[in-house]
Amino acid sequence: MLTEPQARKLTAAVLAAGKKLAKDAALSVSMDSGRAANTRFARSEITSTGDVDDTTLTVGVGFGKRHAQASTNQTDAPALLSVLQRAIAMARLAPEDPELMPLLGPQKYASTPPGFDRATAELPASARAEAAHAAIAAADAAKVDLAGFHDLRGAATALANSAGLFAYHAATGVSFTCTARTPDGTGSGWGQGYANRWSDLDTVAAAKVAIDKSVAARRPRKLDPGRYTVVLEPAAVGDLLYFLVSALDARRADEGRSFFSRQGGGTRVGEQLWGPHITLRSDPASKLMPSAPFDGEGLPQRPITWIDKGKIAALRYSRFWAEKQGQRPTAAPSVTELAGGDATPEALLAGVKRGVLITRFWYNRWVDPQSILITGLTRDGVFLIEDGKVVAPVNNFRYNESPVKMLKNADALGKDAVRLATADGRMRVPALRTHEFNLASTSDAV
Amino acid sequence: MLSRRQLIQGAGAAAALAASASVTVSWPRLALARGLLTDYTLDEVTARALAAAKAAGATYADIRVVRRVAESLHTREDHVTGVGSSDSYGLGVRVIAGGAWGFAASARVDGAEAERIARLAVDIAKANAKVVRRPVELAPVKPVTAAWQTPLTRDPFKIPLAEKAAFLLAINADVMAVPGVKFCTSSFDALGEWKLLVTSEGSRIEQEITRIEPGYSATAVDAKTGEFVSREHELPPSQAGWEYVEGSTLRADARKIGEEAVAKLKAPGVTPGKRDLILAPSNLWLTIHESVGHSTELDRALGYEANLAGTSFATVDKLGTLRFGSDIVTLFADKTSPGGLASCGYDDDGVPTGRWDLVKKGLFVGYQTTREQAAWIKEPASRATAYGEDFKAFPFQRMPNVSLAPGAADKGVADLIAATDDGIYITGNGSWSIDHQRYNFQFGGQMFHEIKKGKLTRPLKDVAYQANSLDFWRSCDMIAGQREWVMGGTLGDGKGEPVQSNGVSHGCSPARFRKVNVLSTNTRGA
Repeated sequence: MLTEPQARKLTAAVLAAGKKLAKDAALSVSMDSGRAANTRFARSEITSTGDVDDTTLTVGVGFGKRHAQASTNQTDAPALLSVLQRAIAMARLAPEDPELMPLLGPQKYASTPPGFDRATAELPASARAEAAHAAIAAADAAKVDLAGFHDLRGAATALANSAGLFAYHAATGVSFTCTARTPDGTGSGWGQGYANRWSDLDTVAAAKVAIDKSVAARRPRKLDPGRYTVVLEPAAVGDLLYFLVSALDARRADEGRSFFSRQGGGTRVGEQLWGPHITLRSDPASKLMPSAPFDGEGLPQRPITWIDKGKIAALRYSRFWAEKQGQRPTAAPSVTELAGGDATPEALLAGVKRGVLITRFWYNRWVDPQSILITGLTRDGVFLIEDGKVVAPVNNFRYNESPVKMLKNADALGKDAVRLATADGRMRVPALRTHEFNLASTSDAV
Repeated sequence: MLSRRQLIQGAGAAAALAASASVTVSWPRLALARGLLTDYTLDEVTARALAAAKAAGATYADIRVVRRVAESLHTREDHVTGVGSSDSYGLGVRVIAGGAWGFAASARVDGAEAERIARLAVDIAKANAKVVRRPVELAPVKPVTAAWQTPLTRDPFKIPLAEKAAFLLAINADVMAVPGVKFCTSSFDALGEWKLLVTSEGSRIEQEITRIEPGYSATAVDAKTGEFVSREHELPPSQAGWEYVEGSTLRADARKIGEEAVAKLKAPGVTPGKRDLILAPSNLWLTIHESVGHSTELDRALGYEANLAGTSFATVDKLGTLRFGSDIVTLFADKTSPGGLASCGYDDDGVPTGRWDLVKKGLFVGYQTTREQAAWIKEPASRATAYGEDFKAFPFQRMPNVSLAPGAADKGVADLIAATDDGIYITGNGSWSIDHQRYNFQFGGQMFHEIKKGKLTRPLKDVAYQANSLDFWRSCDMIAGQREWVMGGTLGDGKGEPVQSNGVSHGCSPARFRKVNVLSTNTRGA
């Protein structure tokens, strides 16, 4: 991973070389540099590992309204020259893009909590192997099979351009996910964890959640499809919420092709779409989820409340669309957080006469963007709730449901939000209870 | 891409750049010209890697030097929105020591780095070997020196950017001329993969694979109701050159695609229920991919993918006995079909590619395997399906082209429609989703036409079909003949952790499936 001075020097050299090749070009360079290491295990043994340090440089070149970009993972001089020449040649040939915005000049970025930990960035393969072995030992003791993935990233991002902008941010992130399966093939459970520091990650605890759940999920009872009251664990909430977050785009709404389009024109910003207990925010300075204070273009990240006590309060404006609509541009959010409530896990169940507890979803896909209708399946732990208590494991289901309705029908949120490995640690959500959830058909999968 | 001459011309400026940036100076190591002209210095790199691995205690080693290049062009309505190219290069060394795999990779391609990476891979293998339960055994393969290249006539990387952009913008103009169409996007992607594989058993295999994906989408909006729909062209990606684009109907279809977007917007919604479906190859390929391609991956069936993509209903104890489909259903795997995205001469284990049955006359008879996996089901040889997406990706079992054999009789889709009383004819891909053991799936499409009494009547919208894979394949009762057999495919077949992307195609003729559960996906206003 390149340090800030190294990144500054490298990006400056690229810009200087680019200037020599094309005096009149608007030049930008972005750099991603760092280590990605992982250990994978299945059937209770390590099956593969990876460990690579790589630096990718992407050069952007603009001539008036013509632009192109080119990238390379080689940082030797001929490769840098080649990538510049490639981007310049392509930009000269590209047709004009009326939406091209001028380069951003120097920006002021908020200070965000450090997300980089040297010990994590340098963690040896043996430490990952030991974590995998400890998890496998716990699975052996419970007589279940364990498969999992322990992933580590230590990377820096830098941006620089010929208008004087420079930005640098380094972060580490480590995730652990695992799936336990009972030898009879009737029970499956899943556990996860994500942290910026390896020392904050409890891999054995994640494994124990998966193991206990697989045992509890054995020999599921048959439950018919239908509309149920469901308690969704945080991973399940995040899986659906992801689609709503990706729809928070002002342009698509203004263009009339989004759930957030107002009939007759404009957007639905300001409308009370959900109850007052629903609040969705992004904050790069979150101590619990620190992130870069800038986005890929160099725009400063700022705290944004997307859903404010049930009201849709903001949509994302690209620089082009913001200028066209007279709005302030919004950096692409790097983290999102659904505010928790006050319910304990027991309290979420307590209100349920008859319902279903769902661990997580799988193979979630868009069905209809107009209603944000999504389909997918439950997996790794589905349980029948009766009179406020989990009474039995049940079969898996396919759902056809919208996160809009999930939030609309939610009447209780868990007090403990969880950072999700499935979202690379960029999402923090609580469990929640919601009603009339469409479990459309059953699945034989375990 | 640049020629070698262009690179050398820039060497003076490069030296100055290197001095100021304090980065390593080295010479271009790979000729970019078509013709598989690797730099001779790579022989030293590969030899040093294999010698270092052996000296450190590896019982098997291979090195892959891989370059991936990509070019993309994106437009909307009347202008280009993005022009990009990427280039990644490096080496990966895979070893077996103590019965376990070890793997390490680097973006620096020189002899000293190759030795370091080889030793690191052996160290990792030894660390992993401490708790090995099933030592890795490789099925035998005859060492070869060979080269393989995508057959093409017009290298997409050498077609002028302006020509490609003009092609896309002309399509957009035709689409946008249709009243009711409000938006149009189009794109062209080209992917080049060059790799050299050298193994400790004496193989030296050089391959270059070129894949392309053109496409566009029209969106129609009803200003009164606020309703909108999109209609995508159905041409699949292919392993081919620009001649594939020129020979296609992409350009000629532009107006029709716009008109169909408008027709779909105005179409009535479907009435849910059990219906007979006639699926065009442009729709059925993805159903084959999800329900057959993934379920017959041996590593998945044995639990190696349990933590992400899941396992499979097609377990080893069912090999040779499971009734997978009706008697007319034969599904075969193959890595040799011309144009197939997974086609190549050798896999990343160095095994020559071939064709074999997965489902024969309805019976489940085969799996996809690698050299490591052949022994798991007591087969004498690998099926040649190992693949790593780039230099830093560990090669593992990846899907070959998996296709439905055409029907015996010379029937066409018109015959299937004429024989159907109450059904829906579906073309193109919409939404897709399948469970983690590949039982329950739900697919959408691009266009849906109602069939009544042997005739296509009217377009429908908001259609999805949902079934259990085995029920679905067992309900197949008509398959059109060879004449209408075509391949669909994807460049985005994901598997593994970290997820690796694979290109794969699936051929089929139109086929009929009886009494499939059809849903309405209209929840607008709910």
